Order: sequence, then C-alpha cells, then structure tokens
Amino acid sequence: MNDNVINVENLVKYFDGRCVLDGINLKVPQGCIYGLLGRNGIGKTTLIRILLGLESPTRGHTSLLGIDSTNLPVEVRGRIGCVAEGHNLIQNYKVSRLIKLCKDLCVQWNNEFFEHLIETFRLPLDRRVKELSIGMRAQLNLALAMATEPELLILDDPTLGLDTVARRQFLELAIELIQQQKRTILFCSHILSDVERIADRIGILAAGKLVVDCRLEELKKRIKKLQVIFPNAAPENIYITEIINQQIRDREIVLTVANWNRQKQAILDTFKPSSCTEIPMSLEDIFIECTKPAQDVIQTAV
Amino acid sequence: MQFNINNSSGRPVYQQIMDQVKRDIALGRLIKDEKLPTVRELAQQLAINPNTIAKAYRQLEQEGIIVTRPGSGAFVANLDSNLSKSVKKKLLSEELERIAVDAYHMQIDRQILRQWFEKAVEKFNLAEEKEKTNE
Amino acid sequence: MLNMLTLIKREIYDNIAYFVAAIILSMILIICIISAAYRSNSEEAPIFAIALSLPVIVILIIGFTSIGVSQMYIDKNKRISAFLLTLPVTRGRILTARIITGILAILTLFLPLIITTMILYRLLSPPVPVFEGMFFDIYTVTLLTALTSYCIGLQTGWMKGKVIPPLVGFIITFVFASIIIIKGLGPQAWLPLIIFIIASVIRSRRKFMKTSF
Repeated sequence: MNDNVINVENLVKYFDGRCVLDGINLKVPQGCIYGLLGRNGIGKTTLIRILLGLESPTRGHTSLLGIDSTNLPVEVRGRIGCVAEGHNLIQNYKVSRLIKLCKDLCVQWNNEFFEHLIETFRLPLDRRVKELSIGMRAQLNLALAMATEPELLILDDPTLGLDTVARRQFLELAIELIQQQKRTILFCSHILSDVERIADRIGILAAGKLVVDCRLEELKKRIKKLQVIFPNAAPENIYITEIINQQIRDREIVLTVANWNRQKQAILDTFKPSSCTEIPMSLEDIFIECTKPAQDVIQTAV
Repeated sequence: MQFNINNSSGRPVYQQIMDQVKRDIALGRLIKDEKLPTVRELAQQLAINPNTIAKAYRQLEQEGIIVTRPGSGAFVANLDSNLSKSVKKKLLSEELERIAVDAYHMQIDRQILRQWFEKAVEKFNLAEEKEKTNE
Repeated sequence: MLNMLTLIKREIYDNIAYFVAAIILSMILIICIISAAYRSNSEEAPIFAIALSLPVIVILIIGFTSIGVSQMYIDKNKRISAFLLTLPVTRGRILTARIITGILAILTLFLPLIITTMILYRLLSPPVPVFEGMFFDIYTVTLLTALTSYCIGLQTGWMKGKVIPPLVGFIITFVFASIIIIKGLGPQAWLPLIIFIIASVIRSRRKFMKTSF
C-alpha cells in the first residue's frame, strides 16, 4: 500500500481523435500541496475529471486514496472534496436546497465550520445558484467541499472569479486545511503567485505531457536565466544542452537553461564571457518559458 | 514580527525568511530568548505553505541562530557575538558596496564620500570604537 | 440507506410535476371507473369503456415515456449527476434512485386505480367470475406497458437534442403498444414486455456507468 494519495499511470486520453493526454505519470504523496499548471485547454480539467471518475481514460489508469478512479465507493468519495471547473453546482436549485442536499448525502459534515465559512463569504441562502456571481459560486463550492473535512481536496481553478480578498481567504483556508493531519491538496490555477505561495510540488502540463513534475524550489534551482555579456560579438552557438530559450543581441545573450550545473558553467566559460549574471525567475517566468511551443521535454526527476 | 516575502525574486522563500530573521536579530529587533511566531501562525499570516516556514526554522536551528523547545516553540538563541558579527558584516558590507557603486556612477570621489560618511555617523552618534567590555 | 432516501427524495422533488399529474389523472380515472361501474348493467358500458381506454392509454404512454426522457435529459442538461458524483454517491445509486422514482410515479397513478377497482368489485357483486381475471390481465398489461414506455424514455433521454429524443421515444412506444394490442391483452403479452424491461434496465445501467459527466 503506497503512500501516494493520487496515482496516475501512463494515462492517455483521446477526444475525437485528438490526443489530449499523452502518457501522463504522476504521484502525489500525502501531505503535499500540488500545483498543476498549464495553459487553457491543455487538459488539466480532463485530467481532474478522469481522476474523479467523471470521465474514463482511453488507456492507463488513475487512482485516488489507493482505489481505482472508475470504481470509487461511497466511503472513499466521502473523503474527497472537490471544486469542479466553472463552479457549476446545480444551477436552478436554491442555495439552501443545495446545502441541504450536500449535508444529507455527506458522511462527515462540520456544520460549525461551514456556517463560519458561509458567514465569512456572506453567501445568500435564499437565492438560486444561477443568480450568484461566479465568485460567490466559487466560494459556495469551496465551502461545500471543505465542510466535509476531506482528506484529499481536488480543486480545478478554485479562485476563478474571486476578488483579491477572497483569493487570500482561499489561500488561508488551504493552509489551515493542510496543517491538519494527513491532508493533501491538488489544485490548478492560473494565478501563479498564489501557486508559488502554497504549493510544495509543481506540475506543468504542455502538449499532452507533464513537462515538469518536481518540488517548487528544485524547479527554481534547476531552471536558470542568465544574462551573458561578451567582450565582442556574442557567439552564434553555445554548445550547452537543454537550452529552453535564448535571445542573442549584439554582445549579449539571454539564456534560459534547464538543469544548470558545473559542466554547463565550464562550457560557458570557454567562450570567455565578460560577465554572467543570473536573472531571478519567478514561477510565472518559468511557466512561460516551459510552455512555449516546440520545447524539448524537460524531465526533472522526482 | 513582520515579514516581507517577495515571490518573484529568485531567492527561495525559506531563505528570505531566514535572512529576515537574521537581520532582525542583528539589528536588535529580536532579542535573545524572544519567542518567534509558530510555523502555523506564520503560515497563516503570510499565506504560504507551512513546509516552507518549517524548513526556514530548521535551517536557522542548524545554524544555531534559533532553538526550538518541544511544546514551547522557537526562540532566539543565545548568540555569541562572533556569529552576529559575521551577519552584521555581511549586511553592512552589502550596503556599503551598493553605496560605492552609486558613487562610482555619480562620479563622486572618495574624499567627498568620506566627508558625507563622517557627517552621517556624527548625526547618529556612533561611537568611535566599541568598548571591549564582555566579549 | 439514508443516502438512497435522499437521492430518491431529490428525484421526486425535481419531477414533482409528474407526480401531481399522476395523482390528478388517477382521480379522474377513478371517477370514470366509479361512474362506469354504476352503469355496468346498461348497454353503454362496453362502448364507454373502450371510448375511455384509448385516450387514456395514449396519455399513459406519452406520460411515462416523458418521465424517462425528462429525467435523463435534465440530468445531462443541468449537469446534476456531474455535481452529485462529487459527493459520496455512486453512479449505481443515482440510477437506482432514478428508476425507483419512475416506478413510484407509475404506482402513484396505478395503485389508487387498482384499489378502487378492487373495492368496487367487492361492493357491487360481479355477474361473472371471469370479470376478476379480466381486470387483473388489463391492469398487468397496462402496468407493464407503462414500465416499458418509461424504460424507452430512459434510453432515448440520452440522445442529443430537445425534439428528437421524445419523438423517437413515443414512436417506439406506440410500436410496442400496437404489438401488444395485436397479440392480445392476455398473459402472452407479458413475456416480451418483461424481457424488454429487464434488457432496458441492464442497458441503461451499463450506459450510465460508462458515460462521461
């Protein structure tokens, strides 16, 4: 019985002949906050839907809490909380009716916590779900997911529609949850500064593959952006492997390299640059570099 | 304790926390045996992953800058003056270098810079030489 | 168990219109039956019965097919199962609750009728014993036809579009009904209906388990 709360093995998914996920392998250990990143339409939502058993894979399999996703029994579903894409919920129900439905169906329900969240978010109980703004639906969705005190929280773009204050509230909630025993969170977001704050591990989905899957600090260590200035014209070709991006202008090369190490530094030195400065990269910078089209796969080991 | 985390700098967050703890100690804002916020409190306050804070605290403990007492939390260690001296040196040297760079660009010579420096230390009543009392 | 009850309650509430219609129709039919019963000695009775049964059967067929269609269609449209599956329920339970609700709607219509018929039968001493058997046959076939229409509705509710699914549903159901009438109302009609119902449920279940929400 492995300790991985989420396990994805060789997952392949085709939609209408188009390959959306091409052999995804992912393991999320217990206690981890995993940030899954990727551009719109790249397959993050598909991956999450397959994890939750809403969609079936073309090949390969996925499991949550040790149980295969296509076969999740009630007890296991009760330990998983999720916020699905778009915060659809059930549009024409009244908020109060939806809450009662969840309360009645859920195995665990922390009503005190839920009431506290409803109050904090100031959610109106007598309106229909479709009448709420997307931000309020997001908060309702989040409150419903967290009230069950889930061991595993799967969130697909949970901050969609949330204003700045609400986003910070969400982050604080996530942090509060993770501090409790044996909790794990998997979430997708486009707000990379948020992901940077709370994620332990990062995965980047691009062109159907998981091009990055490692700890956040490791990612920042392994991918470096260097400004190299040469005394005369910059050389056309620097024979360093795993260059993600380079821009040459007169005497300057700005180089983005994966898995920077001493050998690469030595190779660079043979070109006798007059200066070599590291340009700090935020997660957003790294993400943009990694998702530029036609990039080689940068496999960073676990 | 107020921390300032810059997510977009290349410096890992846990190191930023360590830097700021060291700085506050060196500047006297944190004193010996003072209690630091718990990992939990700090994580909530800054809205960052508690593991990051835990790592910072672990490193600080390894470097002897703080001590954690089980059940009580993390406290500023009883630092010997050598350790704090090296931190102070690092901090001030960096500042001085920054000033030197600016002076270079502004084409201010050493003489004038020394004059202005003397004026500044005069203003804050810096002692000419620290009394060697209990080192 | 509590879980199932909640799911069933939800289905009923969402389809309450059908239950109300079933009750109203039931009341109307009871009145008709009572008045027919008190005229059983006159010559009008058979004509009356036949004149009554045809529109009733048509309404029943359309009605029960629509319940099936509407349950599945609304699920797909309003993404109800997509949300329910984020809660501690399984696909099997959702489908079972759905079918139970459909059956309850059918029973809501039929049980009062059956009870009324039985009461009347006891009250007004029947002329011929054969009559009792006949009622039993009629009700069984009608009930099975209702279930069949419902199952057809469940199947066609999957199809894309607002107009086509119900249309297809009605057509198939009428075809079936005609077969029944041709074959006669007796026990020989039961077997194909029962087989069809079981096959439908199995197919629905299989589809429901594999579909993406």
